Amino acid sequence: MKMFCLSFKLNGKSVQLSVQPAKLLVDLLREDLRLTGTKIGCREGECGACTVLVDGQPVNSCLIPAVKVHGREVLTIEGLEREDGVLDIIQESFISEGAIQCGFCTGGMILNAKALLDRRQEPDESEIRHALSGVLCRCTGYRKIIQAVKTASRIRKEGRGNKG
Amino acid sequence: MQVLTKEKVKLASLNKLQVGPYSLVGQSLKRTDARLKVTGKLKYGADYVLKGYLHGKILRSPYPHALIKNISTGKAKQVAGVAAVLVAEDLPGRNSFGAIVADQPVICSSRVRFVGDGVALVAAETEELANRAISLIDVDYEPLPAVFDPREAIKPGAPFIHEKGNLIEHCKLRKGDVEKGFSEADVIIERTYTTPYVEHVYMEPDIIMAVPLANGGMLIEGPMQAPFYVRDNVAAVLGVPINLIRVKSVQMGGGFGGKDDSPIDLGCRAAVLAAHTGRPVYISLEREEVTLQTSKRHPSIMELKIGAMADGRLVSFQGTLYNEEGAYSALGPAGGVNRHSMIMAAGPYDIPNCKVDAYLCHTNHPTGGAMRGFGAPQVCFAHESLIDELALDLGISPFDIRMRNAFKIGSKTATGQILDQSVGLIDTLKACGEAFEWDRRYGEGGALDNKGTRRRGVGIGVGYYRTSTGSKRDGCGANVYVLADGSALLYSGITEMGQGSFTVLPQICAEELGISVDDIRLVQPDTDLVPEAGPTVASRSTTLMGNAIILACRPIRESIMTMAAEMLCVPVERLKAENGVIYELDNPMNSVPFREVTAKCFAEGKRLIGQGWWTPPSPSFDAETGQGNPYFVYSYSTQMAEVAVDMETGEVEVTDYVAAFDIGKAINPNAVEGQIEGGIAMGLGYALMEEVAFKDGYIQNLSLQDLLIPSILDVPNVRALIVETRNRYGPFGAKGVGEMPNIPTAPAILNAITNACGGRIRSLPADPEKVYWAIRKARESTSTIR
Amino acid sequence: MRSVFIPVQWGRDVEIGQYFLPGSLKEALEFLAEQEGKAKVIAGGTDIIPGLRKKDKKGRVETLVDITRIPKLNFIREEQNRIVLGCLVTHAMASNSELLMGKAAILADGARSVGSPQIRNIATVAGNLVSGQPAGDTSIPLVALDAVVTIASSEGYREVPLTEFFVDIGQTAVDPRKEILTQISFRPLGPGCGGSLLRLGKRKAMALPMLVCAITVKVNRNRDRILEATIALGPVGPTPFRARSIEDFLKNAVINSSTIAEAAEGVAALCSPRDSLLRGSCEYRQEMAKVFVRRGISQALEQVRATIS
Repeated sequence: MKMFCLSFKLNGKSVQLSVQPAKLLVDLLREDLRLTGTKIGCREGECGACTVLVDGQPVNSCLIPAVKVHGREVLTIEGLEREDGVLDIIQESFISEGAIQCGFCTGGMILNAKALLDRRQEPDESEIRHALSGVLCRCTGYRKIIQAVKTASRIRKEGRGNKG
Repeated sequence: MQVLTKEKVKLASLNKLQVGPYSLVGQSLKRTDARLKVTGKLKYGADYVLKGYLHGKILRSPYPHALIKNISTGKAKQVAGVAAVLVAEDLPGRNSFGAIVADQPVICSSRVRFVGDGVALVAAETEELANRAISLIDVDYEPLPAVFDPREAIKPGAPFIHEKGNLIEHCKLRKGDVEKGFSEADVIIERTYTTPYVEHVYMEPDIIMAVPLANGGMLIEGPMQAPFYVRDNVAAVLGVPINLIRVKSVQMGGGFGGKDDSPIDLGCRAAVLAAHTGRPVYISLEREEVTLQTSKRHPSIMELKIGAMADGRLVSFQGTLYNEEGAYSALGPAGGVNRHSMIMAAGPYDIPNCKVDAYLCHTNHPTGGAMRGFGAPQVCFAHESLIDELALDLGISPFDIRMRNAFKIGSKTATGQILDQSVGLIDTLKACGEAFEWDRRYGEGGALDNKGTRRRGVGIGVGYYRTSTGSKRDGCGANVYVLADGSALLYSGITEMGQGSFTVLPQICAEELGISVDDIRLVQPDTDLVPEAGPTVASRSTTLMGNAIILACRPIRESIMTMAAEMLCVPVERLKAENGVIYELDNPMNSVPFREVTAKCFAEGKRLIGQGWWTPPSPSFDAETGQGNPYFVYSYSTQMAEVAVDMETGEVEVTDYVAAFDIGKAINPNAVEGQIEGGIAMGLGYALMEEVAFKDGYIQNLSLQDLLIPSILDVPNVRALIVETRNRYGPFGAKGVGEMPNIPTAPAILNAITNACGGRIRSLPADPEKVYWAIRKARESTSTIR
Repeated sequence: MRSVFIPVQWGRDVEIGQYFLPGSLKEALEFLAEQEGKAKVIAGGTDIIPGLRKKDKKGRVETLVDITRIPKLNFIREEQNRIVLGCLVTHAMASNSELLMGKAAILADGARSVGSPQIRNIATVAGNLVSGQPAGDTSIPLVALDAVVTIASSEGYREVPLTEFFVDIGQTAVDPRKEILTQISFRPLGPGCGGSLLRLGKRKAMALPMLVCAITVKVNRNRDRILEATIALGPVGPTPFRARSIEDFLKNAVINSSTIAEAAEGVAALCSPRDSLLRGSCEYRQEMAKVFVRRGISQALEQVRATIS
């Protein structure tokens, strides 16, 4: 079995390691790199709990051989928090709106929301719902999650306005 | 005037100190674990680094019913890196487990009873080796005739699944004289309703870790709702005293009742592997394995008959319930789902004559266990659909017929219980009806929407639900220790699965002590450290554990307030503790920080520890008639749904939803809303898309590709209304909320479908095809679409 | 009696011997030829990877040849009156493409229905074709668009119209151990043309379709006759279905409700999907085929009216 020399950017830092071809990205993150914030719910791309951003795009890391991120930039839920512990606005909004219950889908929801808000400043509710349609939640009924994304969108917009 | 018994005095005085306004109770405090969850730092079961653990796997039966003629494990044992291959003979203790009745084999010895039954256990260094060993185990089966329908299973001549036959239990409820009632009724209707197996689909698949301890005991860790059930079962299965087993519950990615008993199953199996090999073992399930082998909601066939007077007054109710238990008893009998569904079958209505027979039947399907509502969603779907069908025949509106018969203070339930407090059902009906604009929308039912192909309709569902299991042993203990610097430790065996117990229970403790939630550390539920708490089920946690915490805080408050009184030179009655400060009520400047008082208490050897034990008022229940007071208080809900039905395809969209709840007191309103919004989504799934589909005993939809739960596009924005009618036995007046939300949801939606299209569906889920045929049938019959 | 059922075990690990990332199509094809059938092409991987979890013999793959790094294969362009998609066009790209939304909306719409946003970001339209399912959200519109695919191997290129592409469930004209589907092309829906795509699922997101129906129409100048139409449906058999005889019936047909109804009845009569516990009974799906064809033709005609200014 031929090992692969994988080199990519993870949460802003360069990573190099030798991986087996069969290693899936989600397992590389969780086991080799000890980042267990990305969760496994189904291993077939149906639940979205394993979402990470690759070059800013949400993907199901359970479906991706780790080799596929060679040369790419990967963001996991752990990468959202700043070095000094300040949370991302989306994270804060999830907390303030009470959008987290068991928390298992939270990483997937937040990362998909981030990808949306990074490309669309003020999404309407339908856009928010469609952007999050690839993550299943069994606890919340989704309402507070949608509210949290709306809140984050508003705060981000106001923040941008303040800078100008 | 009511004579207070000693018990009632004790309970009543519990609330004497609780006079609002409160400083923390009633606030939507942020969840204590929210930050850990949004940063991905909270460790769930599968996040632990398990170096040196063996990987455990289960060889499962490929037949729904078969004898095991021979099993040979020689080849499997020879694989290098395989540490153990166990069959039934290798087990050290009791070869069975179960939450209420322990009748499921850890390893089947002579017979398998469902596809997925455990036939052998393997532990190996890697998953690959474990799989290889599994594939090398040779089993000779002799397939037996199987039975898959509960009514068929209890007919004479059906193949026996257990030696005692397939009828596990027949529960009876007899109130009044139903035949007399029917003879007096102006209208009688009879209908049959059915519900399927459904899965919890918690997003976190099961995992359990077992670590052998030097003293011959075992440590079991993992996501679980009932650490004490796990402990007791593992002790029996290993053949050791209970005090040698230590169980720690890890925060769950969802439970919903499923992690009430699946950890018992996996815990016992991992434990025997760990005991045999002397090494730590973990068993983790893939999603398909979760669907295959864990317990599910009991399917039910409900044959109902109801009689009413022309003015809508209900006079007689009769029900025959066939609850399908599947292969093993799990949580069906002995006060479980079977009895509970019987108690709930007639609904929250004052009906003078009731007769219910609940038959719990084995089949060669997976087991029915605990799932949010515990038998109530099934019967509520049935009785709420029945009431609507009756209303249609009587020409009375669905709202009015419910208003006329709904429980109020003084009503007598189907078990003859007189409801003497905290009955907010009619308040929820009124609140919901107003917010939803029921009258207007009901009048418009059946209208075509502007797409031209869909009709809108509205429907109601009402329900009620117990707080607590109703078992004589239902009790909760809590320990509270306040430390010298004013910080506190809270020991509670109630687990966190996302419902918010880790926030609400410290919130209650903080309110009682007068400190902030941040000053309290809730210790991870660990059976070595926490007192008996029972399982985190039956919507009992806030109420029972909340009361236990209040009792635990009592002696601590006494020490602290007495000391503060000394320090401030003010009598105790004139002091209040709030937000970490103790101050004189009429002169707030005269105050002392909480931590100074605790430091002085500590220095002078004053008691700062407390233990509380709280049990509900004793339940009573006659086995022959089902009469008595099975539960001490109930929560109530009215839910209203608006749907749009595509008249040509049968597709249903829930376009609006309002729900009102009487839950006594919302300790943390945001958390209560969360339970409501999530529970309704679960009920929506039950109504429209959820089903574990079987063919000849084999599940056809093991993976999430076809095992559907509502996505974000399926659930509308639910408006939740909270009505508070104080529960005199609850902390700050609270009663349970966890399960109430998903109980009346399915009938509200199905009643709305009928209002929209005229078609009536009597089996869940109402998927597009079923709705389509119902519309066709309605068109072909004489009933008109309103 | 010995057990004849081999219980499927699920595992977390997949078995792949080697993972090769060629930098060019030539490199990829030569490597495939060298491997003599022991290597397999992977693009997005959303079909292949879950399949590898099942622990039966078919699950093991010696080598995966990942073509996603080959440059210049993710184009969507119009050339010589045909729209051409490179094989690395993802469903996300297709659903956001202005060219497709303007001139082949049914394909853009179909791409938008696949899986979830995460899946659409990596799964390719070409991959959806190669998976050979009878009801792909993009393969059904492509069948209605009379698309042609180009298949490359170390021996050269060949073109295969989609009418000859699907062999059986999971089997197409492409052998992923030797060949790579490099591009898809079709005639755009221009003036006088319209299309519709209808889908029936059990929930509103991430649901495999119970029925997908794509229809294109071309009308005469007076807009009172259908000049030609294509009707593609699935799953009503092992491969995507074109209702040829009904398409013939609609050639030059007068546009009125009875023509449309007759076409719908005709299509339903041609379909005989099997009874499926999860996807619906045969009778229901036939009824839905009727509904979809009727609605689909009307909607396609409406789209024509919308584009003719």
